[in-house]
Amino acid sequence: MPLLSLILWLPIAAALVLAFFPRSAETAMKGWGLFWSAATFVVSLGLLSGWDNSQAGFQFVESMNWIPQWGITYGLGVDGITLWLVLLTTFLVPLIFLAGWNSLKKHPKEYIIAFLVMETAMIGAFLATDLLLFYVFFELMLLPMYLVIGVWGGANRIYAAIKFFLFTITGSLLMLLGIIYLAFQNYHQTGLPTFAIADLYGTQLTPTAATLLFFAFALAFAIKVPIFPLHTWLPDAHVEAPTGGSIILAAVMLKMGTYGFLRFVLPLFPDESVRWTGLMMTLSVIGILYGALVAWVQPDMKKLVAYSSVSHLGFCVLGIFAMNQTGIEGSILQMVNHGLSTGALFLLVGVIYERRHTRLLADYGGIARTMPVFAVFFVIAVLSSVGLPGLNGFVGEFLILAGTFKANPIAATFATSGVILAAIYLLWLVQKVFFGPITIEENKNIPDIAWNEIAAVVPMVVFMVWIGVHPNTFLVKMEPSVRHLVTTIERGAPDRTPMLAANRDARPTLVARESPAGPAAAGSGQAAAAVSTPGGAQ
Amino acid sequence: MNLQPLLEPGWVTAILPELLLAGGAMFLILFDAFVPRAKGLLAPIALIFFLASAWSQNLFTQAPAIFFGGTYEISPITRLFDLTFLLAGMLALLFARDYLDRERIEDGGFYALLMWGTVGMMMMSKGLDLLIVILGLEILSICIFVLVGFHRRIAVSNEASLKYFLMGAFATGFILYGTALFYGATGSTNFAAMGRWFASNPSTPLLTVAFVLMMAGFGFKLALAPFHPWAPDVYQGAPTPVAGWLSVAPKAATLIALVRLFNAMAPVLPTVSWMSMVAALSILSMIVGNAVAIVQRDLKRMLAYSGIAHVGYMMIALLTVREDSVAAVAVYTITYALMNIGAFGVVSLLVKNENDPHTLDDIAGMGFRRKFYGFALALCMFSLSGLPPTAGFISKFFIFKTAIESGHTTVAFIGILTSIVSVYYYLRVVYYLYMKEPAAGQAVAAEGGVFALGALTVAVIGIMAIGVYPSPLFQAAGYAARVLLQ
Repeated sequence: MPLLSLILWLPIAAALVLAFFPRSAETAMKGWGLFWSAATFVVSLGLLSGWDNSQAGFQFVESMNWIPQWGITYGLGVDGITLWLVLLTTFLVPLIFLAGWNSLKKHPKEYIIAFLVMETAMIGAFLATDLLLFYVFFELMLLPMYLVIGVWGGANRIYAAIKFFLFTITGSLLMLLGIIYLAFQNYHQTGLPTFAIADLYGTQLTPTAATLLFFAFALAFAIKVPIFPLHTWLPDAHVEAPTGGSIILAAVMLKMGTYGFLRFVLPLFPDESVRWTGLMMTLSVIGILYGALVAWVQPDMKKLVAYSSVSHLGFCVLGIFAMNQTGIEGSILQMVNHGLSTGALFLLVGVIYERRHTRLLADYGGIARTMPVFAVFFVIAVLSSVGLPGLNGFVGEFLILAGTFKANPIAATFATSGVILAAIYLLWLVQKVFFGPITIEENKNIPDIAWNEIAAVVPMVVFMVWIGVHPNTFLVKMEPSVRHLVTTIERGAPDRTPMLAANRDARPTLVARESPAGPAAAGSGQAAAAVSTPGGAQ
Repeated sequence: MNLQPLLEPGWVTAILPELLLAGGAMFLILFDAFVPRAKGLLAPIALIFFLASAWSQNLFTQAPAIFFGGTYEISPITRLFDLTFLLAGMLALLFARDYLDRERIEDGGFYALLMWGTVGMMMMSKGLDLLIVILGLEILSICIFVLVGFHRRIAVSNEASLKYFLMGAFATGFILYGTALFYGATGSTNFAAMGRWFASNPSTPLLTVAFVLMMAGFGFKLALAPFHPWAPDVYQGAPTPVAGWLSVAPKAATLIALVRLFNAMAPVLPTVSWMSMVAALSILSMIVGNAVAIVQRDLKRMLAYSGIAHVGYMMIALLTVREDSVAAVAVYTITYALMNIGAFGVVSLLVKNENDPHTLDDIAGMGFRRKFYGFALALCMFSLSGLPPTAGFISKFFIFKTAIESGHTTVAFIGILTSIVSVYYYLRVVYYLYMKEPAAGQAVAAEGGVFALGALTVAVIGIMAIGVYPSPLFQAAGYAARVLLQ
C-alpha cells in the first residue's frame, strides 16, 4: 500500500475497529489507541528514509480519480512545507494517549475514536494536493474537536465548543464559495475541470475577483490561526477543552491556518498577498503584543498558555508574510516548535490540574519542592517557549525576525519586543507556581509526575533540544520547497504584471502600492503553471 | 388526438413499477381484511412490492420512450426519480412498521396509501402533460391527507390532516387555474407542445399570471416560503414516519415536474423576469427556514423549517435549467431522502405520548445511551448542515457549484451565509445528543425493532457512501439529465 495512504488511513481504520470493542474493555481500548497511533508514527518515519532533499515539489505522490466529472482527484503528496507538520501530528497523538492514560475515565471509547478520526483529518489536510480533498479534511477535523470540547471539556464547554465551531465554519464556508469560483474560472480558461492545487495556481483572475478570493481564503485561515482580532474563540476553546484536546488544538489544528497561507493564499494570490502584506503584518504584530500582554495578566494557567499561543502564532504569520526564504523557513520551523513547546505546556498544565483541580496561579506557589521532576520539565518547556538559545524556540523566532527585518524593519522591531514580553509572562508563571514559600496546605504533598506522563514529555524535550542545537536537520528538508514558493510569489499572478523581484525583500508594501496593472505578461501564466506542477514527482 | 397509438406495444413493461405498487396496495388491503391476525406480515409484503417495483425498473431498457399518446415518458431521469420515491417509501415504511406497532394502529391501509402515493409521484415525474402531473399530484395528495391523519386517536394528527386538506385544496386550485391559463395562452398542456409555442412566441401578461399561479401551487407542495406555514403544523401532527416521507418525496416529485415546466418555458425565460421571482422565493425560503428553525425546540418543527430551507437550496439549482442543475437536484433529493427520513426516523423511535411535542430534551444524552440511534441522528444532522464527508456536503457543493457556473453568485452567497446559520441549530441537536444529561426521571426511551434498525442502517450507509464516493451517482444523474434536456 502506498505510504501516504497508509499513514492517512491507519488511524481511522483503527477507530473503526475500536467502535466494536465491548464497553468494559477500557484498558484494551486505551492500548489499542496507543498502539495504532504509535504504529502510524513509526510508519510515517518512512517519509524521512525515502526523502529527497533536493526536490521542491511533492514527493510520495499518489493520485486517483475521485469525482472525475469535476476533475476532483484523491491526490496526496508531501513536500518540505508539510513534511514536519505531518510528522508532528503523528508524533503527538500517541503521546496524548500516553499522557491521558490514567485521567481518561469518561467514555474512553468515544474519546479515542474522536482523536483517531481527528488524526486522519489533520494528516489528510496536510497531504491533500487537491483543493476539495483538502477542504473535506479541513472540515472533518471540526466535528471530533467539537465533540471533544463539548463532551470532555470543562464547565463552560458548550459555549466554547459552539463558538469554536461557528467561528471556523463561517470562514471555511466562505472559502468553499471561493474554491468553487476559482475552480470554475480555471475550467473556463483551460476547458479541463480540475481542483488540483498545482493546476489552480495558474488561474487568471480579474483584480476584483482576486481580491475577493484572497479575502475569502485569508479569512478562513486567519480564523483558524487565529490572527487578531479573530482570535476570541481560542482562549475559550483552550480553557474548556480537555488536556488532549488543547494539545491537538494548539499543536496541530492552529497550524492548519498558517499552512493554508503557505499552500493556498500566497501562491494562489501572490499579487494580493503582496498588496495586503502591510495589513497582515500589522495584525500579526498586534497579535504578538496583544497576546503577550493579555497572557501576562491571566490568573489562569491554561488561559495564559492560550494567549501565549496567540502571540506565538503571530510570529508564524509574520514570518510567512515576510515572503522570503529566511522568514518562511523560520515560520515553518516555528509551527513545529510551537507544537512541541505549547503542546508540552498544555500537557504539563493538565498534569497539575489532574492533581489539584485548579489552574489558578494563586493556588500554587513553591511546588518545585513537592514536584521536583515536574518542575524540571515545566521549566524546560517554558524556556523552549520563551526562545532560550539552545532550545527550539530560539531558532524559529530568530529566523522569523531576521526574515522580517529584511522585509519590514519596523514590524520586526515591534515583534522583537514580543520575545521579551514572552520571557516576562512565562517566567512570571514559573516563579508564581514553582518558587517561593508553599502557602497552601494541599500543595505540600502533591504526587510528582507519573511514569506515563514522563514518557510523554521526554520525547518532546528531546526534539526541543534537537531543533535548538541542530536545526539544519529540519531546515535542509524544507529548503527547496520554500525556495520554490518564494519564486512563485515573486513571479506574481499570471495575468498581472509580475512584481519587481529585486525589491521584494526590501519593502514589499511599497512595491505593491506602486505596481501598475500593466499589460499581462503573455505566457507567464503557462510558465507559472508549468513550474508549479510538482516537478517530476515519482 | 388520435386514440390509436394510446396503447403502444410494451406499455405494460413500461408502467410495471406503477402496476406492481398499485396492485400490491390492493392486495394488502384485501389481505388485511381477510387475514386480520397476520398484521406482522403486512410490512414485509409491502416491502416486497416496493422492492419488486424497484427491480422492475430494470426491465424497461429502451430509453427514453414515450407512451399513451405523448403523455408519459420513461427515461433515465424518471427511473432515477422513481428509485428516489421508492427509497423514500421504503424507509418510511420500515420506520412506520415499528411506530405503528408501538402505537397499535397498524393497518394494511397505511401501507397501501404509501404505495398509492408513490404511484402518484411516479406519474408526476413521468407526465409529459400538465394534466398527468396534476392527476399524479391529486392521487398523492389524497393519500397524504389520510396518512397525515392516520393516528385517529390523536388530536394533533386530525388537526394536521384537516389543515393540509384545506390548504392543499387551495394549492391544487391554483395549479389547475394556472394550467388553464397556460392552455389558453399556448393552446396545449403538453410540455413539448408548450415548448414549441414558447420557442416561436413572445411572452404575454396572461402567461405571467399563469406562472405566478403555478409557482404558488407548486410552492405550497414544496413548502417554499412564503407558502410554507402549513409545513411545521402538519409535520408536527402527522405520524412521525409519515412526516419524514412527506418532507421529502412529494417535494422530489414536484421538483421534477417543475424541471419539465421550466424547460418548456426555457426560450422565453431570458426575456422575462419570472426567474427573479423564483430566486426571491429561494432566498426567502433559505432565510425564513434557517432563521425560524433556530428558535424551534420541537424536533419535528425544527426539521420542518430546515426542510423549507433545503427546498430553497434546491431551487437555486433550478434558476437555470441545465444538465448540471438537473443532476444536482436529482442528487440532492436522494441525499435529502436519506438524511431527512433518517432524522425523522430516529424521532419516530421516541416512546412518548404522541400528542406531546417531541422536544430536544427528549433526546438528551441519547448519544451515549442508545449509541447507534444517537450516532445516526448526529450523522443526519451533520449531513443536513452540509459538512463533509457526508452526502449532504457533496450535494450542497453540487448545488452551489451549479449556481456559480450559471452566474447566480449572489444567491449562492446568501445560501452560504444561511448555511452558517443552519449549522447552529443542527449542532444543537448534537449538543443534546452527546453533551446534555437527561433531566432526572425525564429520560425518554428510544425503541425500535429490526425494521427501524434496518432503515437507519440504510440511511447511515447511504449518507456515508454518497459522501465518500459520489461519482457513480453523479454519472447516473448526469446522464439522466442529459437525456432529459436533449
